[in-house]
Amino acid sequence: MATTLNPNESLKDEQRFKRRKINWNYFLQDNITGSTGLTVWIVFMTIVNLWFSVRQLGAAPGRTIVVLAVWAALILMVVAGEMFGIRSRVSEWLKNNLLTSVSNALVTLFLMLLLTMAFTSFWHYAVTTATWTVAESSIDFRSAQAEAGVEIGASWGVIWGSRKLLLTGLLEPQYNGRVITSAILIGVLWLLTSITNRDRFAENNGVQILKNITNIGWLISPFALYILLAGIAYEGPFINFSTLIRWEIVVLAIFGLLYFFNVLQLTPLNIAIWVLAWPLAYVIWRFIGQNGWYPPINVDQWGGLLLTIIFAIFVNLASFPVGILLALGRRADVQGIPWWIIWPVTLILTTILLYTNTFGNCLGTIPALCENTNLWATSRNNIERGIALWPLIIPLLAYLFQRMYNGNMVQAASVVFIEFVRGVPLITLLFLAIVMAPFFLPVDGSGSFKKVFAVMIGYTIFSAAYMAELIRGGLQAIPRGQYEAADALGMNALQKYRFIILPQALRILIPALAGSVIGTFKSSSLVSLIGLFDFVGIGRAVFTNDQWLGLKTEVYLFLFIAYFLVSSIVSLYSRRIEESTGLGIR
Amino acid sequence: MDVMQGPEATKTKEAIVCKDVHKWYGEFEALKGVDLTVASGEVVVILGPSGSGKSTFIRCMNRLEEHQEGRIIIDGTELTHDVRNINEIRREVGMVFQQFNLFPHLTVLDNITLAPINVRKWTREKAEDLAMLWLNRVGIPEQADKYPGQLSGGQQQRVAIARALTMQPKILLFDEPTSALDPEMISEVLDVMRDLAEAGYTIVAVTHEMGFAREVAKRIIFMDGGQIVEINSPENFFNNPTHERTKLFLSQILNH
Repeated sequence: MATTLNPNESLKDEQRFKRRKINWNYFLQDNITGSTGLTVWIVFMTIVNLWFSVRQLGAAPGRTIVVLAVWAALILMVVAGEMFGIRSRVSEWLKNNLLTSVSNALVTLFLMLLLTMAFTSFWHYAVTTATWTVAESSIDFRSAQAEAGVEIGASWGVIWGSRKLLLTGLLEPQYNGRVITSAILIGVLWLLTSITNRDRFAENNGVQILKNITNIGWLISPFALYILLAGIAYEGPFINFSTLIRWEIVVLAIFGLLYFFNVLQLTPLNIAIWVLAWPLAYVIWRFIGQNGWYPPINVDQWGGLLLTIIFAIFVNLASFPVGILLALGRRADVQGIPWWIIWPVTLILTTILLYTNTFGNCLGTIPALCENTNLWATSRNNIERGIALWPLIIPLLAYLFQRMYNGNMVQAASVVFIEFVRGVPLITLLFLAIVMAPFFLPVDGSGSFKKVFAVMIGYTIFSAAYMAELIRGGLQAIPRGQYEAADALGMNALQKYRFIILPQALRILIPALAGSVIGTFKSSSLVSLIGLFDFVGIGRAVFTNDQWLGLKTEVYLFLFIAYFLVSSIVSLYSRRIEESTGLGIR
Repeated sequence: MDVMQGPEATKTKEAIVCKDVHKWYGEFEALKGVDLTVASGEVVVILGPSGSGKSTFIRCMNRLEEHQEGRIIIDGTELTHDVRNINEIRREVGMVFQQFNLFPHLTVLDNITLAPINVRKWTREKAEDLAMLWLNRVGIPEQADKYPGQLSGGQQQRVAIARALTMQPKILLFDEPTSALDPEMISEVLDVMRDLAEAGYTIVAVTHEMGFAREVAKRIIFMDGGQIVEINSPENFFNNPTHERTKLFLSQILNH
């Protein structure tokens, strides 16, 4: 093909008016007769274009003639440029992009026809014949128009009319203010973060202080959001000292661990923060609860965009650290439990269980080992007799554990967890979470574990398993030399992963992690199957509502645009992070 | 703190003692009973054909590879499964790799100060001061704020040496430090190594630089097939080697 010109550079005069000599033989060969496939393709595209043009000429003659004329004009510009040397930036751009060959010119025509057809009919539906007010979207108005024979396109009023539902679902309207406050809180924090992190403020002390305040704000934000969106119940007027002290011990233990692993230093400020944080938080908590400033909300009423966003944020943030731990666990090279421990334990356990559970004998005074029925004696057929011998599975599992994981408990647990979760459909896991969560987790005052929280936990478990495999991929991409260099400098495992491996692995993973974040955000619409009204679920509820009956297209288009916008923001943001951390890549 | 002073003295007179060290990779025996004692302040160069186990041997000395039989005692501390021993030894033993293994996401200065700050628990100021002294000594103080990817191979290797030395080790292990470098960059790295030898560091180096070996080494160890074939002074090693295998090796590398 001819030489390529950069369309962004202005053309020099000699290039602009230089006539190119065209060898028609080569031209035919390059464009049409080069291979049988190419010839067939050209013939096929010609026929398709002819057929499509004729049909469109019949359906909408004016529009089609304009499209054909524009296409012909574009072709002429390129031909003029190539044969007579009358070139411009536009003609060069066309030649390099849309009309590079005969086959591309034909594809261009086809796409022009297709797009104009699609766009005009969409425009007709969404703008020309559309109605915009809430009243015009009601079913009464629409049926009256239909009877009068007036064509109605989109009834956009439904979106404004159902804004409350779409945004917060079935949440009672009196809590709208609290939702708006939460949104403002997050928005302000985000804005502050993006401003204070600009490079040009790196030396500005005032901005750096603001940055630290913002970071503290992010740390406090989960509690603030919980108070705003879930509320605090009135639990009586007194501070419960045993709760206070119990959790203070936990907080200080975490601090001790972080110090031990060299994450935090023992500065007076750090000590003060860690000692005082919990009592302060507890007092504020009780104070708010006592005054009834933020009475509890029935969180199962969360819905619409609110629920979808809470889900996306919680699940992604929670599954990330769990995923890292699982990935590290799966690669853990810890000393396994040796066979001379595994086999005696297995033997004793199997014997005891056979003796007590299968044959109903009593062992000592331990009640748990005595309450069993005699499974063997009560079984009526061979299948039940087989089930009665279930303790024999234990040696088999022990053998597999020893054989496949060499007694490495950490690795085996991680692998089993990841593979189990990945092997189960998400919806099953969510149902399981709703059923199982009350058994494992503290139940609130009303005696039931909230469905939303159970689902969030189930979803986090699911997401963490996938995240773990992503992160493991990233860890494997780090060359062995990096691990060895860290080892040779005397770093311990925590320091090695914290400073050397994870920063590099996570940077590689930014695109994949962004994909996972978007995926979680979008597939959270699955929860509408278990009676929660997320964004999609509430949308469906809107157009099955009497007043808005049948306005499927409008609602789905709105959802489409909303989802697309949020996903694009995440996508753009991840690309910006990628660019800003791109320095120093090998 | 003057870096020209050389290293702290080792606790014992023998910096490294290896006794009958065996190492298997599955069925393959990489080290077949290696004995070696390196005195404090001694420079030892290990030579040998590829696959002779010399890299494996040097990597056993700071337990990047685990030996399965025999004993390795570094400055009075034996390398065992005990993690505390391993980390203590690794603090005292610096290593320089063939592929530099700098951390690409950190600046040169952060590469050097990361371990002193977190492992030695120094303040940032102390670590940075010492790092700059060492960068000066290897001749590239102006590169402190660059990333490894922006440096030439020779510069990267000198940063790696500065990184190992800022930890203030008593013993240095060099694993083919010049093998991945362009010929014109080899000398700048060898000059630094020569400096360190004169300053009194205990050095064990695996290298193919015969000039360096002849000039700097106090003893040359020739390995083949996972065993030490010959230990000799450089003079005798190059001029009248005792072992047939050594003669063959020398004739191959000197007359190629």
